[in-house]
Amino acid sequence: MLATDTPENDMPGLPYDASAHFDELIQPNGRPRPAAEVLWRHLSELGPAALAERQDAADREIRAIGITFTVYDGGVGVDRPWPFDIVPRIIAKTEWRAIEAGLVQRLVALNLFIDDCYHDQRAMSAGIVPSDLVTGSPNFRPECMGVNPPGGIWAHICGSDLVRDAQGNVLVLEDNLRVPSGVSYLLENRMVTKRVFPELFRHCSIEPVDPYIGRLANMLASVSPGTGDPTIVVLTPGIYNSAYFEHAFLAQQLGVELVEGSDLIVLDDDCVYARTIEGLARVDVIYRRVDDLYLDPDIFLPDSALGVPGLMRAWQAGRVALVNAPGAGLADDKKIYSYVPDLIRFFLEEEPLLDSIPTLRCSDPDSRAHVLANLPSLVVKPANESGGSGITVGSQASEGELAEVARRITEDPDRWVAQPIIDLSTAPTLCDGNVAPRHIDLRPFTLLGPEGAYVTRGGLTRVARREGSLVVNSSQGGGSKDTWIVDLEAEEAPQWPKPIPASVSTATS
Amino acid sequence: MAEADPSVGKHGHVMTDRTEQWTEGQVVHDGLTIEPTDNVSDHAGEHDDERERGPGMLLARMAEAVYWAGRHLERAEGTARIVQVHADAHVDLPVGADVGWEPLLSIVGVDSEFSHRYASASTSTDARAAEEDVIEFLLHGEGNPSSILACLTNARENLRTSRPVVPREAWEACNNLWLTSNDHLAEADSREGRVRWLRRVIAGCQCIHGILLGTMSRDEAMSFLVLGQSLERADLTTRVLDVRSETLRGVGTDEPYDVVHWMAVLRSLAAYQPFRRAMPARPQGGSTLRFLLQDDRFPRAVNACLAEARTQLKVLPFSEDAQDACQTASMIVASASPARLVVDGLAAYLDELQQALAEVHRSVDTTFFRPTPSEWGQVSPVQ
Repeated sequence: MLATDTPENDMPGLPYDASAHFDELIQPNGRPRPAAEVLWRHLSELGPAALAERQDAADREIRAIGITFTVYDGGVGVDRPWPFDIVPRIIAKTEWRAIEAGLVQRLVALNLFIDDCYHDQRAMSAGIVPSDLVTGSPNFRPECMGVNPPGGIWAHICGSDLVRDAQGNVLVLEDNLRVPSGVSYLLENRMVTKRVFPELFRHCSIEPVDPYIGRLANMLASVSPGTGDPTIVVLTPGIYNSAYFEHAFLAQQLGVELVEGSDLIVLDDDCVYARTIEGLARVDVIYRRVDDLYLDPDIFLPDSALGVPGLMRAWQAGRVALVNAPGAGLADDKKIYSYVPDLIRFFLEEEPLLDSIPTLRCSDPDSRAHVLANLPSLVVKPANESGGSGITVGSQASEGELAEVARRITEDPDRWVAQPIIDLSTAPTLCDGNVAPRHIDLRPFTLLGPEGAYVTRGGLTRVARREGSLVVNSSQGGGSKDTWIVDLEAEEAPQWPKPIPASVSTATS
Repeated sequence: MAEADPSVGKHGHVMTDRTEQWTEGQVVHDGLTIEPTDNVSDHAGEHDDERERGPGMLLARMAEAVYWAGRHLERAEGTARIVQVHADAHVDLPVGADVGWEPLLSIVGVDSEFSHRYASASTSTDARAAEEDVIEFLLHGEGNPSSILACLTNARENLRTSRPVVPREAWEACNNLWLTSNDHLAEADSREGRVRWLRRVIAGCQCIHGILLGTMSRDEAMSFLVLGQSLERADLTTRVLDVRSETLRGVGTDEPYDVVHWMAVLRSLAAYQPFRRAMPARPQGGSTLRFLLQDDRFPRAVNACLAEARTQLKVLPFSEDAQDACQTASMIVASASPARLVVDGLAAYLDELQQALAEVHRSVDTTFFRPTPSEWGQVSPVQ
């Protein structure tokens, strides 16, 4: 690692213009940020041709391993290889620790809020959140009133969407508390990167991502209603679900069974049993990847074949733990989102550590007027949907599209919220043989159980592969990157053990 | 890279200033105590070591998927070998002395599917066209549920379903075999490319078996996989014998091409070399039949397959009926008199044996995979 002063020598093979947006790896003057120096030097030495070869190798690997996601085209599900860009996204460890603290703070507050909504409703009586917003939410479940899940925790797993704006501030875009997905891709991306860039892991101090699985296993075990060794299962809607790959991956990694609704039965003792080759086996914890409304045909959608009749009864009786708990989704509503900073102040008496994006609720007449007058500079979102569907980015919409959005807002204002367009940060991404800036976001996963909290080291970085596009969802053509939390201090430390001077006594340390 | 934090006990549970502040302030819901992430970092492994798993539980649905993965992998490999050996033997025979390609369809049991799909071609007098049709149909023909590609597709789907209970590497190998077999379909059109394609399938299946043997715990899932594999092997061996029985009957004619037929029968079950080592006689009807039915050491001999199936069933719960069915089939095998069967009654005998094998499958199916919903309540809950 020779230090040179001239930028030309620094980057022999990779022209890259990072001046248009905040770039995660490269400063506006063209030099890499400190945490990205080793990586960028290595990429430059490889040059575009060698990088293209590595990308091919990664694509082949992903195809052979069978890392897929399912897209639905005209009702037919098609498995596509997981789109992956080999250039990692890098965050310095010191910054990440601050983000972790913010994510935990937020999830703790959201859980206190959910528990409050299903018990005393103090936040509503205190006027922090309008009560009709909560009780009128399609994700509010009256069946959950008065239920006490272990530790008072409802949302055990949160997949947050983080973005960075033009000034470099990290902002929370969304809290996903229902069945957030993507963590399997986070772990698989790291595995592919290790195979593609094995040499880099020797020179960088990169935090490992694998411990997530152990933490997840512990958290699931910790909410078991029974004593002794709990039986944990992952509940999937089945092989045709778009996230089936992840469900199977998690069950395999956790070493637990992957069940479908038809594998489970609730008996008169209110306990849940799985149909095994040895008869019925009691199930203690269900990591469910089935939406609330499909969980129990006795209570919710009667036609649903995905769920288990009596499951809600078993959960209400405390005989089985559901992760996340039913009804937790009320707090990831995009309208509730705008109240989260106030909820943090109310429940924790703390200032939010992470910023949110100012959100205009179209149900409010003044806000609605402002939104309708400024559509080209706003992002309009449906309040209750996930996965990036129904979102209109004003600056990228045609006049006709904007008129249609205005019509929908006027027709049903309660369904819509609007936010300023965030100039998402970029990261170097392989595009047609060159490295070019593309917009990215980040989805870390936070675990919360009675025994503690844990945040993934980094998260799933999603990248909008089309130039200028801000849409990163993989269901809409987005790609992904490995995310490195790099410990700069560890890197500066010598790679070999320091000789201990004979004159220094160890007792003084 | 994992930092050692001496302040964290073995359970990684440390009350910190921050937690105390939250609980003391009474702003946190009772029972919700949080550790900042710094103090619960990567000590997951220590927890895992202490937590022991109870007896494994295997879903009936998973057991069925694994069983069928075993069967389909075996069928893909078996069919590939039969086609390859037939083609090899074909070139050794003079025009007119060969038996054509139709026997392959009978072995796989897809005669009617074939004639349905190639109705117009059956009148063709062009022998080469018939060969191409049969081969294409067996390898990847549309409308052939037992084509090699269909078997690989089914095996892959079943392994995909049962991913949580099979080693990851086995799934990857199967997925890879399925992908490359699909990618190189055009190659199989030529005789030369076909050899490569079939060899890849055989080697790929063997690779998957090797991974399973080397990395999979001998648990219940493994038992179902081996069970499916054993029953499929036994079935395939009887099918080969059934279709070749006409040839097997040529006792003592001593024509040079007879030997070619014999060797083909043995080779199509990878049995030629083991036969040579085990049997003093040179290949002829009686000894071949005895070896492929009653040998207890060659893994594709029906007797050995049934013994393996019984071994697996013994460790599974509630398997008495299936074990009995296995026993019945074994007795049919043991009672056979190969020397007499070669002269007469082989077809009827093999029918009886195939019925008995089907009965084993039926018994496994009803016992483990699909008890009727009314039986659910009758099974006493375990644990």
